[in-house]
Amino acid sequence: MDKAKIRVLIAKPGLDGHDRGAKVIARALRDSGMEVIYTGLRQSPEDIVEAAIQEDVHFIGLSILSGAHTHIFPRVIELLKENNAEDIKIIAGGIIPNQEIPKWKEIGIDAIFGPGTSTKEIIEYINRSVK
Amino acid sequence: MKSNELINKLKQSDVRAVARLLTLIENEDKSIEYILKNIWHLTGKSYIIGITGPPGAGKSTIVDLIAKMALENNLKVGILAVDPTSPFSGGAVLGDRLRMNSAQKSGIFIRSVASRGHLGGLTATTRFMINGLEMLRNDLTLVETVGAGQGDVEIVKVADTTIVVEVPGLGDEVQAQKAGILEIGDILVVNKGDRPGSDRLAKELKMMLSLGEHKEWIPPIITTTATKELGIEELWNKIKEHRDYLENKDINKTRLDKIKYDLENQLSQHLFTRKMIQIGENEIENMAKKIFKREIDPFTAIETIIKQ
Repeated sequence: MDKAKIRVLIAKPGLDGHDRGAKVIARALRDSGMEVIYTGLRQSPEDIVEAAIQEDVHFIGLSILSGAHTHIFPRVIELLKENNAEDIKIIAGGIIPNQEIPKWKEIGIDAIFGPGTSTKEIIEYINRSVK
Repeated sequence: MKSNELINKLKQSDVRAVARLLTLIENEDKSIEYILKNIWHLTGKSYIIGITGPPGAGKSTIVDLIAKMALENNLKVGILAVDPTSPFSGGAVLGDRLRMNSAQKSGIFIRSVASRGHLGGLTATTRFMINGLEMLRNDLTLVETVGAGQGDVEIVKVADTTIVVEVPGLGDEVQAQKAGILEIGDILVVNKGDRPGSDRLAKELKMMLSLGEHKEWIPPIITTTATKELGIEELWNKIKEHRDYLENKDINKTRLDKIKYDLENQLSQHLFTRKMIQIGENEIENMAKKIFKREIDPFTAIETIIKQ
């Protein structure tokens, strides 16, 4: 019997409180049949990685609008490595400058979805990667 | 991860392995029987506290505070938090972690669980998930149910101590007279004690209990204001009192009863599936048609099918 579900952790690291985007994504993923663990505002990379491991998710979704991604991305990647959990993929959204995207993908961010991305695109991406 | 590798890691209480095991149990994966057979003798060692009550009553916050008290008392804690699955998409947003800040900060293992269509406040696999969690060697397992209605009483078959959280403003005293989750509480909590009506609710609950048959254990009623951490120490003391009561009375007997109940359920599920395969879908369809045309009545139909 195959009852496996795609599980995604949606986190909002950094100090700004703009979580509308994260909530919209959470809701869209739910409506596509995924199980979304929503952890709320101001999570540290340590909190996020620990939660992702306990919840055994396929993806971590990071929403960052404050520019803190330059610190948070490398730290989350590092912590996943330390915990032998590199199979958990990272996707990100929010305000990430276009010219930086290749750099982040190279060090281990799986995909970056900027403003204007449709939720459908994100859902399709996740479904494709899990298969 | 291969099953044997996973079993070895589970025996070392590896956190990733436990998390993976819980996923396999949830998914009713084929490998799970083999794995559980090999670790069964190591499970069943935690004290299980169930927390139930209507949506928004403050269950997650109270779970968080109980976890904090347990840590202060040098106990190791694991948490399972069940939230509903959407009946339309099959997806879920699991947000209990949001209210479990101190538990999250102190590294307590929290697992958010989607109900996946199961009614009753828990999931079909909660019992085994508790056993899976016990590979962490936790002293205490906290199980938070889905925001429960009047019939969601399954938790009582799982927990050693069941806490029912109520809040003022949901109805009059006739609500308290009705059968349902109020009856299953070993401890009743009136949360949001700073709201008007909380005193009255506490009194009504007390009234209700005094009208009922007198049992050995009379559920205490505790008023808390979880957001201000008021009343939590009293709650903790009552949990300990209830545990002592069970231990004096013979906790093994109550636990045995619960295992018997589980076994009956699992057995009937197995027998049902086996018999259904044997009967086949065609036969069911044929009989249904006959019943529809009034060629046969449902009772004779069942007798005929079972005799085959």
